[in-house]
Amino acid sequence: MSFSAEQGKTSLLDRVGTGQTVKAYVVGVAFLEEGVLAAALGDGRVAFIGSDSVDAPRFVSVNDGACLSLAVDLGGDRVLTGGDDGRLVSTDTAGTASTITTISGRWVELVTVSVASELRAAAFGKTVRLFARDGSEVGTFDHPNTVGGLAFDPKGRRLATAHYGGASLWWAKAGGQQPKRLAWSGSHLSLTWSPDGKYIVTAMQENELHGWRVADGADMRMSGYSAKVKSMSWLPKGRYLATSGAEPVVCWPFHGKGGPMGKVPLDLGRGVDGVVTVVAAHPRHDVVAAGYEDGATILVQIDRAHPVLVKQPGEGAVTALAWSADGQHLALGTESGFIGRVRLSDWRAPT
Amino acid sequence: MNQIPVTVLTGYLGAGKTTLLNRILTEQHGKKYAVIVNEFGEIGIDNDLVVNADEEVFEMNNGCICCTVRGDLIRILGGLMKRQGRFDGILIETTGLADPAPVAQTFFVDEEVRRQTLLDSIVTVVDARHVVQRLGDSHEALEQIAFADVVLLNKTDLVSAEELMQVEKRIRSINATAIIHRTQRCEVDFAAILGRRAFDLERILAIEPNFLSEDDHQHDDAVKSVCLRTDRPLDGTRLMGWMQRLLAERGQDLLRTKGILSIAGQDMQFVVQSVHMLMEGNFTKPWRSQEDRESRLVFIGRNIDELELRQQFVACIA
Repeated sequence: MSFSAEQGKTSLLDRVGTGQTVKAYVVGVAFLEEGVLAAALGDGRVAFIGSDSVDAPRFVSVNDGACLSLAVDLGGDRVLTGGDDGRLVSTDTAGTASTITTISGRWVELVTVSVASELRAAAFGKTVRLFARDGSEVGTFDHPNTVGGLAFDPKGRRLATAHYGGASLWWAKAGGQQPKRLAWSGSHLSLTWSPDGKYIVTAMQENELHGWRVADGADMRMSGYSAKVKSMSWLPKGRYLATSGAEPVVCWPFHGKGGPMGKVPLDLGRGVDGVVTVVAAHPRHDVVAAGYEDGATILVQIDRAHPVLVKQPGEGAVTALAWSADGQHLALGTESGFIGRVRLSDWRAPT
Repeated sequence: MNQIPVTVLTGYLGAGKTTLLNRILTEQHGKKYAVIVNEFGEIGIDNDLVVNADEEVFEMNNGCICCTVRGDLIRILGGLMKRQGRFDGILIETTGLADPAPVAQTFFVDEEVRRQTLLDSIVTVVDARHVVQRLGDSHEALEQIAFADVVLLNKTDLVSAEELMQVEKRIRSINATAIIHRTQRCEVDFAAILGRRAFDLERILAIEPNFLSEDDHQHDDAVKSVCLRTDRPLDGTRLMGWMQRLLAERGQDLLRTKGILSIAGQDMQFVVQSVHMLMEGNFTKPWRSQEDRESRLVFIGRNIDELELRQQFVACIA
């Protein structure tokens, strides 16, 4: 890979970061309260890494097989993970793991949490289950096929799911309802709901995105990717949707009328070789962190041509990226088990 | 990244597929397998890496009408990659009534599956006693034999030597390239069914020139094999043009195509494989000698006009 502006310079990880190896596929990373970083691993463990780099990570064995999904749980001081042992588990930073439910023989590939409505949802194959703060199950939603994507709307009152043939919109309350179906042929593999609640976007088997305007169900196709889109992240106020799956970081404009229709997406990070595998938009600024298949990670601003190197290539494909809520810390994880964190408060953008 | 070998086990209900699976999982061979079983499995499997799959067959939006994939497999194989290093290979059991095409096509269509795994072989377990009846009444039984790289002709103790020979001939006329092992209770050397990829294509070179003798034509199965050969080099451009056209127009009927081809001006063997309309071809390794350079192309399919294929093939000679 090459960086026209940054060539020869050391990475942010070398200058203002720390890294460690956990010897397992990093499924997801997330920041908890007080700067604690949590990582869900392919060997069923959750790692908690304190903000002080001298502390060794604390490992908790949570799932029997692999952890498949991770979300920050209600309260912000614990994580919700799903595993291929059919268990949905909430684990706090002290290492106490409590099982919310187990559906044996089902993989728990998707978990999501709404702080606004204090609900958690998890997909167990074709069924999505909804849980209250106290762990009681408050609803189940059955689908004709395995659920590929799961997201609450911003208020946590509705739940959208992606599956073969389109998406479904449910009210996030007791079952016994018929969902609103948004049909589009093909297999929909993941889903995101825009921060303003106006749009739903799914990633498809055919290396493209499909979007719907929630108000009227109007369809939007976003194509041109060289690989499947595995990661989508909204920039502040939902102005752009940053995506993986291509050589540049493709950002679709969602501000203004009609969403991205008839508009050209921004392509950021041109000049960096390789396919983007994960993206994470900064919570406050128009900056996107992007990880690549060769392990390289960059930061790029939407109005700046030259990216900043966060991590050199190596350690396998980047599989996870997350910002802290204040946007001052960035964490990343890779396929071969490297976890890095960078303190951006210590770093000044080149001017 | 190391590609993980995948073996697909098919076979009609009661043929002995689960017996084979249990033997692979319980006997000592120094290898550890992750197993993807269908949710209607016949008996329990004792293994700590078992995944239940609903056979979710999805159509692709790529303008190819017969292009279906197993959506559940794409997902499960992706999930298993998170546990890499915990197993040496993956076994996929399909239901007795499954058409093997979507499974095979999954390994052609999905880029991630192609990058991370390698379809080692499709092993079809056949009940020697009941297969003739099955071929008469079941579309799937025929497809399972047509797709096989390896056929375990099982329960041979339940039929006479004469019946066994007839059954074997029948299987051979449907699928000329499959390796057939006669077994009782699926007792077979695992080296004969696992880790065979390279060998199975070589197998095309070993097909008897007259694998179909006249009296075999009496069974008139809807699916048959046609083997084309020439010792004259082929024109690469014309050959590819013909094959692409053929698969686009006739892909629904052509279940599998396999070939090792000698291309004019190339020192390497050109190996081609397809499942219905999906084709992949690569130059693999040098021919051993100039005398050796015989092209062989096998089609396994329905409604095959052998004469027409032969003429079109000959027209590709450089």
